[in-house]
Amino acid sequence: MFIEYTWLIPVIPLLCFLIVGFLGNKTPQGGGYIAITGAAIATVLAVLVSCEFWTSAAYSDVGYVTQQITWFTLPGGFTLHFGYYIDSLACLTMLFASFIAMLIFVYSLGYMHDEGVRKRRYFGEVSLFLTGMLGLAVSSNFLEMFIFWEIMGLCSYLLIGFWSFNHPDGDAASENAASAAKKAFLVTRLGDVCLMAGLFVLLFAFKTLDYADMFTEEALAAVDPNMIILGSLLIFGGVIGKSAQFPLLDWLPDAMAGPTTVSALIHAATMVKAGVYLTARCFPLFTQCSWILLWVAIIGGVTAFFAATMALNNMNIKKVLAYSTLSQLGYMFLALGAGGYMIALGLEQGNEALIVAGSAGYTAGLLHMVNHAFFKALLFLGSGSVIHSCGTEDMRKMGGLGKKMKITSITMLIGSLSISGFPFFAGFWSKDLIIESVMHASDFGEQTLFLILWFLAIVTAFMTAFYMFRMWFMTFQGVEGVNAHHTHGESPKSMVVPLCILSIFAAGLGFVILFGFDNLISIGENAAGNLQVGSGEGKGFEYITEIFGNVYTWMTIVLVLMAMGIAYLMYSKKTMNPGKFNKNGESRLYHALTMRWWFPQLYDQIAWKLGYGVARGVDFVDKNIIDGTVNGISNAVIGGGEILSKAQTGNVRSYTTVVFGGVVVFFCVILGIFWYMGGL
Amino acid sequence: MFDLPEIPYLLTLLVVLPLIGAIITLFMGNERAKYAKYTAATMSGITLILTFFLLLAKNLSVYSENYAWIESAGLKMSYILQIDGLSILMVFLTALLVFLVTIFSSHQEDKPNYFFALLLAMEVGLMGVYMSADYFLFYIMWEVTLIPMYFMISWFGGPRRHYAAIKFFIYTHVASLVMLIGIFAIAIQAAAGGVVDFSFAAVAIGASAFSSTFQIFVFGLLFFGFAVKMPIVPFHTWLPDAHTEAPTAGSVLLAAVMLKMGSYGIIRVCLEVLPDGAVWWQPAMVVIAIVAILYGAYACIAQKDLKKMVAFSSISHMGMVLLGIACLSEVGVEFAIFLMFAHGLITAVLFMTCGLAHDLFETREIPLLGGLAGKVPIYAAFMMFGFMASLGLPGLVGFWGEFGIIFAFYEYSFSINMIWLIIFCLMSLMLTAGYYLWAMQRSLFGKLTDKIETAHLRDINKSEAFALVIVCGLIALFGLWPDLALGYISDYTSSLVTLGVVI
Amino acid sequence: MIPIEFFLAFAAILFAIGAYGVMTKNNTIIVLMCVELMLNAANINFVAFSAFTGDAMGQVFVIMTITVAAAEVAVGIAILLNAYKLKKATEVDGLASMRW
Repeated sequence: MFIEYTWLIPVIPLLCFLIVGFLGNKTPQGGGYIAITGAAIATVLAVLVSCEFWTSAAYSDVGYVTQQITWFTLPGGFTLHFGYYIDSLACLTMLFASFIAMLIFVYSLGYMHDEGVRKRRYFGEVSLFLTGMLGLAVSSNFLEMFIFWEIMGLCSYLLIGFWSFNHPDGDAASENAASAAKKAFLVTRLGDVCLMAGLFVLLFAFKTLDYADMFTEEALAAVDPNMIILGSLLIFGGVIGKSAQFPLLDWLPDAMAGPTTVSALIHAATMVKAGVYLTARCFPLFTQCSWILLWVAIIGGVTAFFAATMALNNMNIKKVLAYSTLSQLGYMFLALGAGGYMIALGLEQGNEALIVAGSAGYTAGLLHMVNHAFFKALLFLGSGSVIHSCGTEDMRKMGGLGKKMKITSITMLIGSLSISGFPFFAGFWSKDLIIESVMHASDFGEQTLFLILWFLAIVTAFMTAFYMFRMWFMTFQGVEGVNAHHTHGESPKSMVVPLCILSIFAAGLGFVILFGFDNLISIGENAAGNLQVGSGEGKGFEYITEIFGNVYTWMTIVLVLMAMGIAYLMYSKKTMNPGKFNKNGESRLYHALTMRWWFPQLYDQIAWKLGYGVARGVDFVDKNIIDGTVNGISNAVIGGGEILSKAQTGNVRSYTTVVFGGVVVFFCVILGIFWYMGGL
Repeated sequence: MFDLPEIPYLLTLLVVLPLIGAIITLFMGNERAKYAKYTAATMSGITLILTFFLLLAKNLSVYSENYAWIESAGLKMSYILQIDGLSILMVFLTALLVFLVTIFSSHQEDKPNYFFALLLAMEVGLMGVYMSADYFLFYIMWEVTLIPMYFMISWFGGPRRHYAAIKFFIYTHVASLVMLIGIFAIAIQAAAGGVVDFSFAAVAIGASAFSSTFQIFVFGLLFFGFAVKMPIVPFHTWLPDAHTEAPTAGSVLLAAVMLKMGSYGIIRVCLEVLPDGAVWWQPAMVVIAIVAILYGAYACIAQKDLKKMVAFSSISHMGMVLLGIACLSEVGVEFAIFLMFAHGLITAVLFMTCGLAHDLFETREIPLLGGLAGKVPIYAAFMMFGFMASLGLPGLVGFWGEFGIIFAFYEYSFSINMIWLIIFCLMSLMLTAGYYLWAMQRSLFGKLTDKIETAHLRDINKSEAFALVIVCGLIALFGLWPDLALGYISDYTSSLVTLGVVI
Repeated sequence: MIPIEFFLAFAAILFAIGAYGVMTKNNTIIVLMCVELMLNAANINFVAFSAFTGDAMGQVFVIMTITVAAAEVAVGIAILLNAYKLKKATEVDGLASMRW
């Protein structure tokens, strides 16, 4: 009964966008309340739809419910639809996206308080952003998904560049924001172009882009496997761009130029999560070939590791969080890759147990997506609260804020514990399951590779705990920094309340795994034999014995505690000097990390050489050779006329000479022709 | 939908009304000059309203007019106007944009009577080109468009207007002479019973007997004529100059409607009459199109003048149109026509905003601009909308054109086992995004420029906003519901399939 | 009877002399006289062929040519006189105002 109204979920924020966009300044808070109301209605609808979907037996057999109308047709029997497709994955995504977005909007009331007329723009754009994410979650086919995907790209461009002119911190900051917005759009566009190519491949191969028609055994079997592999890889290219995975990971830290709430939205509720969603959505395709998922896992593992290293020595509180997002996204892809690898092998060998084992990885990845959404929203909003209060993003100028901002400090601590994987906080459960499933995958072929990935994951867990607590101690403990002296104290209620709500989830959400989360979000074969989300069997409390009966879990916990201890000694108690390890910032590794492993330079060089360099060449060719030829011809005609006109000397004698000469020559030619023709 | 009455002589009215308007406007000199814009707006407005009768008509074939014009012993030229799914969108685009451009430039101070008369005269020619069904009439109308545009540039243009106007005129005129030879060739070759009949119908009947050598040769002639108009690299250099120097209204019509004459001609004449020639030239067309797409996109990056950048982007997009045609498949031609329409709407926004830059800031040089979004927010919003539409943001009209064409090209490259060719198209999407965003970053965002006077900038006024809002609304409308336009086009393309022209 | 080649050769020589004069002489009067020479060379051809073929048409043409030539000389001299009045020159090279 509610599912028929699923289409309203993206449409309501869209309406809010239009209302705020046109009338925002006539309403209080620049349309802030309208945006919040829209997000709230979307949340309620999402909850109702999800409840109905999960409770109704009619849907659980098939695993999805879809309804669509014809949009237009392409000649050659391709019909493109517009509609919704609800399964557990869609429910999960729209639930956390709408809920977190709503909290962020509420928080924005306080955070963007001083923006004046620009609030209209802000609330309009964030509403559109939410439309993008919710539309993506419920779309019934790849093309519709792609449209919302690109709308999110546009919104991220607009919002990262929110301060790209008239920045409160001056012109340099404006320039930086404009450049960061451009970079975000272009790098994700590179991915989007791949994704679009993937759509062409799939559309041509499947003759349809509807999930319901593509993800069936017959459809998959009828298509050339090479085309599926090509399409899957191209789609994953889009994912790499959107979720900022290696090697397209560089735009996300730059995107910190936008308001902190936007960062929270991008990192927690929308944008980067779209990549994870799409990978999970495409599992029936990806699992057709195991090495696609091997790539997913490798890219995830490498990103997790690299991003974590760059967070180790960063002094900017938002950038540390940005790198941690990259790193955590890497975890999600590692989990999806490892799990999917097992599923793919299981499908190849017809091994049911392998599919079940792989399904655990899938569940872990998506659980981490949800957990991450909550604790990262919490951390970003917390950092926003700190920035709002101190007016700086540099952690060296903070310090000792714990006493002045108690609630922020405690909620941030909860978030840090959660992301570090401290036992029983949300992040612990999902991260442990991820590491475990990578370990599990190493039992089935590609052993070395998965062991290396496992090792990277463990090291990343250690680093995560270290840099998160480094951040927390530098901000809230120790000596008061320059800006910490004159803070406004705790932030207003509209900012603190969302923090508290988020911290509850960040602390306790992990327990859902014990209460049937894996029953809803797992992948397996449904009644019709198609690979679908939400048809696994929940293990429930077995997880406790499974996790704590495992030596690797304890190892991870010890590593995390060690990292937290080191951070404490270095940045709170200051008995250990961090300068000892990096030669006071002189070591080459430290330099490499500050330079972000030279990724930005690499991109700038590529963009400059391949873009502007070639463009200059083309421009030169255009101006000088092509247009030069045209102007040359015209000059030749004009010049030739000039030269020939010189023959008009006005001298009668030379005219007569030419006339006589002409007659003689003409006569001779005629004679010659007659002679040649034999007429003479 | 609605039952609209059938208007007699509707097509002739569409040609004649602007002509009457042009003549009336022309004589509104001196103290009557301030009423010139009202006359022009009224006449073009009525024309626009009349096109809705066409758009909503159930059966387009009832609107066709056929009168003998010159009929001698061996020669027959007729005045035939007719309309089908290919031309109706172009006719609508012409009527719409002439009307909006009239509104848009209602603040024209200098010789307004000539200015608006030229706009209406251009409408006469354009309507004639898109509706005529006789090759000779087609050619005459083709040339008729040239003359008002020449005067538009050379009277109302920028500092190098004379150079640009002459270049535009001679370049395109030479090309249309080549085209004329091609037209003579097909009309004479198709002549039956000793009468050279120039009508489309008569040539179509004779065309079935064309030998393939003849087709290949004549296709080349005609293609050259049309390619210069489109324009296709390397015959494009008149375009950036003409655009840079033309007044805003002229640029809008030039880019949005006149360039489409080229691609219209290729589909209407080259494809319909010379299908074998098209097949022979297909690989060449594909290569030329890809070169044009990338060349235009790269040239955009290096441009410093906003209008010149948009001009090169037109070259790139028209290359995309040619690529769609070159696929010789139903999808390709259908979406090539769609992109023609889409590009018409989008470049109207682009040239309106970029042309306005000259009015607002006294310069269009990107390095002299910067940080203007805070000063002229509405202008900036329209410009960004235009750029986003042009770079193919899904949900706006430009995306569907590119989507369909690249899909058709994917099918083509798949059929010749060279899928990697598609990389070039995708690269152009990247480059397009690159140059637009870079231009926006430098002109709208960042530090407020101190190279121009920014203290008293005006934002766009009501009449300019009116025109822009309507075009932007249509861009969004057709973007969300492409079937509105595709419905007309698919009728036409399926007839091409019946003819065996495309697969 | 004198063979026709002699007449033709004579006419050709006369024509060549006339042509040479037109091309080289600077004085307008001499140029005009040379033009007359060339005309008369043609007349000789006419008369010669007329006598040889027995067709009187050639002689009719000669009378015609002489008449026209007389008129032409009158016009020519008039032009010369006017040119002399305007330019104070009888030289052909002085009358070059029509150059580029």
